Amino acid sequence: MNVASRLPGMSATSLAERPATSAKPAFLGFGLGLRHQHYDEILNGDPPIDWFEVISENYMLPGGQPLRTLDRICERYPVVMHGVSMSIASTAPPNLDYLQALKDLAKRVEPKWVSDHLCWTGVHGKNLHDLLPIPYTQEALDHVVSRVQLVQDFLGRAIVLENVSTYVQFNNSEMTEWEFLSELSRRSGCWLLFDVNNVYVSAFNHGYDPLTFLNGIPADRVVQFHMAGHSHMGTHIIDTHDHPVCEDVWELYAAALKRFGRVSTMIERDDNIPPLDELLLEVARTREMAEQVLSAG
Amino acid sequence: MSNFARQQAAFQRGILDGDETVLAEILDSPREKRDVLFGVYRYAYGSRLVEAVRNDHELLHRYLGDEAFDEMGHAYVKACPSRHPNVRWFSQGLPAFLKSAYSRHPELAELAALEKALNDAFDAKEGRVVELTDMAGFAPEDWSSLRFRPHPSAARLELATNAAAIWLALKNDETPPEATTLDDPARLLIWRQDVTPMFRELPAEEAMMWDEAANGIPFGVLCEMLATYDDPDNAAGRGAGYLHGWITAGLLTDVSVGA
Repeated sequence: MNVASRLPGMSATSLAERPATSAKPAFLGFGLGLRHQHYDEILNGDPPIDWFEVISENYMLPGGQPLRTLDRICERYPVVMHGVSMSIASTAPPNLDYLQALKDLAKRVEPKWVSDHLCWTGVHGKNLHDLLPIPYTQEALDHVVSRVQLVQDFLGRAIVLENVSTYVQFNNSEMTEWEFLSELSRRSGCWLLFDVNNVYVSAFNHGYDPLTFLNGIPADRVVQFHMAGHSHMGTHIIDTHDHPVCEDVWELYAAALKRFGRVSTMIERDDNIPPLDELLLEVARTREMAEQVLSAG
Repeated sequence: MSNFARQQAAFQRGILDGDETVLAEILDSPREKRDVLFGVYRYAYGSRLVEAVRNDHELLHRYLGDEAFDEMGHAYVKACPSRHPNVRWFSQGLPAFLKSAYSRHPELAELAALEKALNDAFDAKEGRVVELTDMAGFAPEDWSSLRFRPHPSAARLELATNAAAIWLALKNDETPPEATTLDDPARLLIWRQDVTPMFRELPAEEAMMWDEAANGIPFGVLCEMLATYDDPDNAAGRGAGYLHGWITAGLLTDVSVGA
């Protein structure tokens, strides 16, 4: 399929290196991932949450309660769309039906930004529904840059990409993950979602200092932090998002605040979902820590 | 094929088929061997998708129990890899898979089909709901040519087993009845009322009337058809009664005077 032919006014040759010119998204404050277990409490109360991140695919549906609830959330709070299936680094042809559904949802939600992960989820028509790792090669970088540009042209907005937790590294990598992310952002114009927990997990799994990763990311490209929990297996850490944020990750968050400054931050819990009050304590801590670190200069 | 594409294909084969070729391109970590680390992806693939099926088929899970459900789930994951980027649609093929792979237990496929129908009704397309007051606008002489359009969430299902009774017992935390084949199939109508998925069993003549109404047959003809099922003298009354039930349940999205 000729993908460029489905982009208005685009040709394959015009998909050259061309950073998106959109302005850096504004700071939203301290937010939470929206989960259906908390719908009623949020809509019937007034929890101290500045904004919500929603999983895009949970609302890429024909209708019913999820979309009706999302509409009500959008009336009250700023919302950011976070996807898990864009498969931006896949070598399979881009799934334009998926992108159209994402674009339709964005039209409804009017999110402050649309994010996904620097990963792939499958090839040859199959979806593994996982955030799979890539080799950090020039070939992969060129491919992902052109794919990000295509998606940004299709959606009509710069996207935000997140570093994923990885369990393996490829022996043909030619650069570090942070060099790859920095170049990707510089060349494509995409913004970065710095997942503090994922940096911690990958640094442990691959044996590098998370501060080296942190200091390798350009400070002006980061628009969002994720904070989450994980499961420690002794020899490696699995990014399960089913625990509270651990103290080491809070410490890395403080370092991230020092480097990146005031960045929209959220607590991301995907499994073993606790009562809302428990997550509000973590949201409050992101706020307090940011005030503390940033006021200290 | 680029080297990147070749590597992704090998990585995917490693997860789906247990092919170890890709391990030659992966590094050991300072603390762990590469096969263990790659195993995180292999394990996560199966467990994540079985969990997705479990979430969609809570009562089938309860009926089978953990062990049998996991075995069935992994067999489904193996036989029917996900083709859709949204995991919401992964378990759509489960009733067909069970019909073929568990053909000696037809109640499993039908229990899954009922859960699937309810899931589909839950997030089906929105549609206007016809109210009883809308019907007052039609002149008496128009009634015989009224045509009806079902709400987008409405669907019909015919079950050869007592899967609906099994569903009901499981839903109420009761011991389900023994699975049996019914003498006469159960005719179910599934839909969403406001935000809640519902189903009910239809008598044979109401099922006929619903199916024909959904095909665009006007009310006058529907009543003539009802007359062949039971007492012809009160066929129109029975038809009006069924129609009243559909409207109060939010089952219709449009009523119009058709040619």
